[in-house]
Amino acid sequence: MKRILIYIEQHHQQDGIDLLETVRQIYQEAPYETYALVLQGQCDTLKGIFDVIVDLREEGLQEHEMRAISDVTYQLHHSYHFDAILFPATSWGRLIAPRVAMMLDTGLVADVTDIAHGEHGLELIRPAYSGRIMASIQITGTGPMMLSVRPGVFSYTPHREAATQVHTPQDLRYRTGGLKETGRKEKHSEYDIRESNVLISGGGGVERYFHELRPLAELLGGHVSASRAIVDKGVADRNIQVGQSGKTVDPKLYIALGINGALQHIEGLRNVDYIISVNTNKYAPICSLSDIVVEGDAYTFIHRLIETIHKEKGYEGH
Amino acid sequence: MKIICVVKFVPDVDNFTYDHEKHIIIRENSRMMINPDDACAIGFALKMKQRSPDTSIEVVTMAPESVLPLVEDILRVGVDAATIISDRLYAGSDTYATSRILSRYLSGATYDTILTGSHAIDGDTSHVPSQIACLLDMNHMSFISRIDEPSFSSSLARFEVESEHAVSSYEIQMPAILGLSRTSGYRLPYVRYKNLHMDVSDRVTVIHNDVLCFDENDVGLTGSRTKVVGTHVKTYRNRGSHVVTTDQEGIDTVYRFLKEKQFI
Repeated sequence: MKRILIYIEQHHQQDGIDLLETVRQIYQEAPYETYALVLQGQCDTLKGIFDVIVDLREEGLQEHEMRAISDVTYQLHHSYHFDAILFPATSWGRLIAPRVAMMLDTGLVADVTDIAHGEHGLELIRPAYSGRIMASIQITGTGPMMLSVRPGVFSYTPHREAATQVHTPQDLRYRTGGLKETGRKEKHSEYDIRESNVLISGGGGVERYFHELRPLAELLGGHVSASRAIVDKGVADRNIQVGQSGKTVDPKLYIALGINGALQHIEGLRNVDYIISVNTNKYAPICSLSDIVVEGDAYTFIHRLIETIHKEKGYEGH
Repeated sequence: MKIICVVKFVPDVDNFTYDHEKHIIIRENSRMMINPDDACAIGFALKMKQRSPDTSIEVVTMAPESVLPLVEDILRVGVDAATIISDRLYAGSDTYATSRILSRYLSGATYDTILTGSHAIDGDTSHVPSQIACLLDMNHMSFISRIDEPSFSSSLARFEVESEHAVSSYEIQMPAILGLSRTSGYRLPYVRYKNLHMDVSDRVTVIHNDVLCFDENDVGLTGSRTKVVGTHVKTYRNRGSHVVTTDQEGIDTVYRFLKEKQFI
């Protein structure tokens, strides 16, 4: 029986639950047991999903105590002997996983987006060169296998009710201190592009009139998103960025305006149903993925489409 | 105050081309450059040196010796010393082996703090700063978007980290490893014209494995815990696009499509 530990980040539990799908793709039909490592967390949502919840509530075990969490994960491994340890590649997960891997002398593959079973066995697939190529990685050490997994790529649908046990390990030894959070300003975003059904997305080609995207988005019941080109220029906020360095999105409709479609951007579009791209260059990479390519200026497109929608709606009203 | 900047030289990923038939990267076109996040680390260190001129900065990199001209340019903008860790045994090291090599050098070096980038544009794993911190038993934080300059000292640093949901402020005890992010905006200055040919050779040290003394099985491909077994450009479903223009006929096509799929 394989044993797999999944780290659950405090405010992003779903990112951890979704890793059960990653585990399923790795082990397929082989029998395995799943363990959730929960710090200061609510365990209720995890019950029935994981086989074991390792529930840690000691005050010293806060998320930013990377040394403490690594120490604890190391000890847990020595009592449970995991075959694999998975972290969601969230802000904390990305910082803690490499420490744990080093302590366990084991290989870690970062930001995994796909699992393959090739002729040489298990291959963990991840983007490299800023998402321009995909690399297949194998872990060569003696294990446990460690990976961090890009949030939003795998999605888990519960298919059985687990008889969850809750373990509360005692006598954990860990080091704390050194880093202190002194303040926190929440960013208030009106929406999460990962939950949008329709995204009207702008890239370098709409830098001067990015604000014009919003009326079209509202008319189609959707939201505005952006590519890295325009976020790096400070025109759009990073929390609406689509792509490998932004978010993976799965709307039903994605309208890409002035977006070239570098691989790192396309990586964020894997589950989109329909893509319409508007570009002055009809050979831009995003165009080959599009259901409709509109060759031309995005500004003209937005205004003509809005006008047409209003006009047609007007007819229907009569 | 002594600052060590650990940096990486990377291929310029915006300008590399991929041969789709042979599935290889065409390297002739790709020049090497300093990783953008790492350039911010040096940029910040130089700012600190301006504030207190007794600050000394050493740049440390593990790289083939061919990066020497790039390293020399960094010395021409005010960095005091550079160490290139280079040995054919180290080629092919993954992040695990790389962190061990860098840490062995750093464990014998003197410094008050280590500055670096948060992630490299080629490998993109962000592992090395965390792993060096683990091996040297130091505090660490990455993705730093701003460092408070006046309070930066050999005992404490205050900084901000910008994540998707919030901007958090932290205080860290030194010595620590601080990973800057490009959003910090610190820049590596250009070499001044009069310094373009400044002789800096006496400030570069190249060290090989005879100094670090690794067993050949502990570094390079054999010392790694992961290996790349293949690379490919991702293929996506080609949707057999319908190409139109922004004239009324084109707009009508888009309108009908949106209507048929019930978006309108």
